[in-house]
Amino acid sequence: MFSDFWLRLRALLRREALETELDDELRGHVLRETEKYVRAGVPQEEAVRRARLALGGVEQTKEECREVRGVHLLETTLQDIRYALRMLRKSLGFTAVAILTLALGIGANTAIFSLLNALALRDLSVPHPEELVWFGAYSPDDRFPNDPYTALSLPMFQELSRDQQVFSGTFAWWGGAVMNVEVNETLTRASIWAVTGNFYSELGARPEIGRLLEPDDVDLNASTVTRVAVLGYGFWQRQYGGSREAVGKTLKIEGIPFTIIGVAPRGFTGTSAEGGLDVCVPLTAEPMLLGDTDVQKHLQRRDALWLAAAGRLKAGIPSEQARAQLESLWPPVRQAMLPAAQDPGRRNRFLALHMRVAPGSKGDSYLRSRFLKPLYILLGIAGTVLLLACVNLASLMLARAAARAHETGLRVALGASKLRLVRQMLTESLTLSVAGGLAAFVVAYWGSRLLADFILTQSSTMPAELNLSPDTHILGFTAAAAVLTGMLFGVAPAWRAAQGNLNAVLQQNARTLSGGTGRLGRGLIVTQISLSLLLLAASGLFIRSLLKLQAVEPGFRKGQLLAVGLFPRPNGYKDLNWTNYDRELLAKVSSLPGVEAAGIVEMTPGSVGEWTEKVRVTGAQAEEVTSDCVLLMPGSFHPLNISLLRGRTFTWNDDEHAGKVAIVSQNLAQRLFPGGNAIGGPLDVSTEPKWQSLKIVGIVSNASYYNIRKPPQFTVYVPGTQHGDFMGYPDLILQTKASPTALWDAVQQAVNSFGHEYVFSIKAIRQLIDKSVLQERVEALLSIFFGVLALLLGAIGLYGLMAYNVTQRTQEIGIRLALGASRGDVRWMVLRETLILTLIGIAIGVPCAMVASRVIANLLFGLSPHDPATLLLVVATLLAVGALAGYLPARRAVRVDPMVALRYE
Amino acid sequence: MTAQRIDLPQGTLDLLILRTLGLQPQHGWAISERIQQISSDVLRVQQGSLYPALHRLERRGWIKARWGTSDNNRRAKYYELTKSGRRQLEAEKVAWDKLTAAVAQVLGTA
Repeated sequence: MFSDFWLRLRALLRREALETELDDELRGHVLRETEKYVRAGVPQEEAVRRARLALGGVEQTKEECREVRGVHLLETTLQDIRYALRMLRKSLGFTAVAILTLALGIGANTAIFSLLNALALRDLSVPHPEELVWFGAYSPDDRFPNDPYTALSLPMFQELSRDQQVFSGTFAWWGGAVMNVEVNETLTRASIWAVTGNFYSELGARPEIGRLLEPDDVDLNASTVTRVAVLGYGFWQRQYGGSREAVGKTLKIEGIPFTIIGVAPRGFTGTSAEGGLDVCVPLTAEPMLLGDTDVQKHLQRRDALWLAAAGRLKAGIPSEQARAQLESLWPPVRQAMLPAAQDPGRRNRFLALHMRVAPGSKGDSYLRSRFLKPLYILLGIAGTVLLLACVNLASLMLARAAARAHETGLRVALGASKLRLVRQMLTESLTLSVAGGLAAFVVAYWGSRLLADFILTQSSTMPAELNLSPDTHILGFTAAAAVLTGMLFGVAPAWRAAQGNLNAVLQQNARTLSGGTGRLGRGLIVTQISLSLLLLAASGLFIRSLLKLQAVEPGFRKGQLLAVGLFPRPNGYKDLNWTNYDRELLAKVSSLPGVEAAGIVEMTPGSVGEWTEKVRVTGAQAEEVTSDCVLLMPGSFHPLNISLLRGRTFTWNDDEHAGKVAIVSQNLAQRLFPGGNAIGGPLDVSTEPKWQSLKIVGIVSNASYYNIRKPPQFTVYVPGTQHGDFMGYPDLILQTKASPTALWDAVQQAVNSFGHEYVFSIKAIRQLIDKSVLQERVEALLSIFFGVLALLLGAIGLYGLMAYNVTQRTQEIGIRLALGASRGDVRWMVLRETLILTLIGIAIGVPCAMVASRVIANLLFGLSPHDPATLLLVVATLLAVGALAGYLPARRAVRVDPMVALRYE
Repeated sequence: MTAQRIDLPQGTLDLLILRTLGLQPQHGWAISERIQQISSDVLRVQQGSLYPALHRLERRGWIKARWGTSDNNRRAKYYELTKSGRRQLEAEKVAWDKLTAAVAQVLGTA
């Protein structure tokens, strides 16, 4: 509607002119009407009155005309915003508190959402990520139902790629192994990826400098390897300072030289959501990196699952079709790759492999599997905090609206429609929430980076990065949160404005307006208390859970124990006699000053990894038990403080030539040999031929060796002296009072003197355990923040309401005092109201908390979600805060001077 | 007051305004007077709803306004029908006739 548009535009631009026109038009009308009455003989004054009456109120008519005119919405909104800004400027204190509350509330939500977004919602930054489909074989595993490990052998990948008709291209990679890299003669660790030649082109990456890997670089059928490497942008920046000279230079991976041909673009994270592609080499280089010289024999192993694979869907092919086709192609491929039948267990596991086809647009993420659920719950908690902030602001706004009731009434009397008033109120709250939303953006920017840094540095040793930059998801989320918040806390005062009884308001004086914020206000306060209780209960549970976790005695030494991470030098493990080497190494290290005892374990205690096997008494139809397996060198029980109960520990004589031995934990001995004759009992570990009929030589105390969250596990200890083929990347463990830095040089020297390994890291076991409870620490840390915020908001709300009520009732209090009420009575009157509201809030909050805490039940450690001690503490805290929030206004109330109060008008 | 006056049924004000302006351009007050006059003082226009109605019709593009001088040299806002307003008037007249005929028939037979 063209004319409509012009009218609106004209109206907007020439608001003043139009107002004058309207004014003139109506005045002309009244004039003519008056003249009509005068002509009929009505006296002048009466005529004017009748004329105005006939028109039904000049201002109302004007308002209706403006509304009809339509620009109204835009124009009045602008007017409302101007008015809102003026009102907010007039009470800067309130405005500042409101914006700060909103900034923290919305900001915390956006920060957590940014992490969720980066982990689970964001697509890989490649062209058309929605076309990517991951595929691979997996064995159903209950432990990771949502994120099973999927992989293929190269022949499987090649056959599937050849037979499929749904993808325009397929590519594969082997990713994330941390290896020795020598840059400019300095040894460092980097994450190495080996990829097919079309990896970069299928992902649509263009080189930052130089060129990327191309199909010619990676001939899967050649027996020679093109030794070229592409650097990740971050690695290039860190190791070469972003120099263009890097191209053409040589770096060594595990001692093997590769020529750098180019650098991947900034922000390219390959197929991972977390990045970390430091160095990318041809897939054919993988065998030589692992020390296998026969490239083709290694690559063509038919049953070795080591590759991740993906394809790009052809245009118009739905991913369901790809799934169906790959699933139908899979059984014959699996049958063709079946390993030669020596081990029936292995064969059966292989036959159980399924084809898994999954959307690949989000990329792989280790953090996603670990932090998604906690993040959702934290978002829920942050959302509750925001809700609490809303309720808090609503009650403050309500108090302000009540104070302005007289003004509101006057505006209604002068012709403002109720709709208009409601809109005015909402505009005010929206102006606040939008300002809060803008500030929240800053909070979220820093908050999300802080949180991500904390999680990333604690959870991995390699640099990783999450893409936290604002995208449409984050912008949309913040905008929605801001608008929703504004509507939410604006509704109560707006509703109140619409309810206003004109006559009642006008008959009363602005100051004596009784009732204050009324039932609605008290309801809001009760809601605030309940929400605070909910949040405090959650944070109490998380904190107590973490404290319990940190106090756990896992059955091995936690303090004064260092783990020295050892990595092989290039070819350092070639033909190594582990028994002799470790015996000499331990002798040398044990004699270092400050070291009380030393041992060597294949896997660090209390860390992330774990190794379990099925064990049973050899022979007969004995039942199988799942047990932890620990590979360690003789002498390691002592520094670990795992004590021998019966029999003997391992000695250096338990070598390859002696009979195979094992030591079991007390609980496993009792379980497998209830008669108590465990010593000597033959034990089968897994189906591996070399692990059958082990002779039990000792029984040691129970421990939760791998995961301190678990109760003491069944554990089998086997000597590294008899299983050198399982050794590699072990930990030297030192019982010492010294710090890692104090020992670093001496230990490094000792290890270097053998030339097989080098020291990668020295960490306190306690520190590693802290890392393993990272999730709990993040939860506790954030919930402390939210809990304090909740308490603060609750206190502000309660105090604000009571202080306001006392001001409103100054006159009443004055009369009471004048009539002989004692100051104690008055104080109690105010305090009682606060306490009653607090108690009602608690009465509602406790059952809510009991129900809600079930959601976090399985994130808690050693604690019922209904833990009475936590709840009691929370209730006591709230009561104390309630009393304090009531006491301050109560004290002010008794200071009222009756004479002043009565003359208050 | 000679005859009993009837308040306008909902929605008929627009039609009456269009009809009145179909004769000649008028200003607001004159429109209300005119309606009353033609209907022999039976129909009473609520003056409060007259102006919003005029603005509404203007927005829909059925009438347009311009300022002119009226009797005894007073400025007044004159409304006149546009082309689409004239079409609208015809359409509404037909609809109205149908409606009244139908209502009359029902009343007559019932």
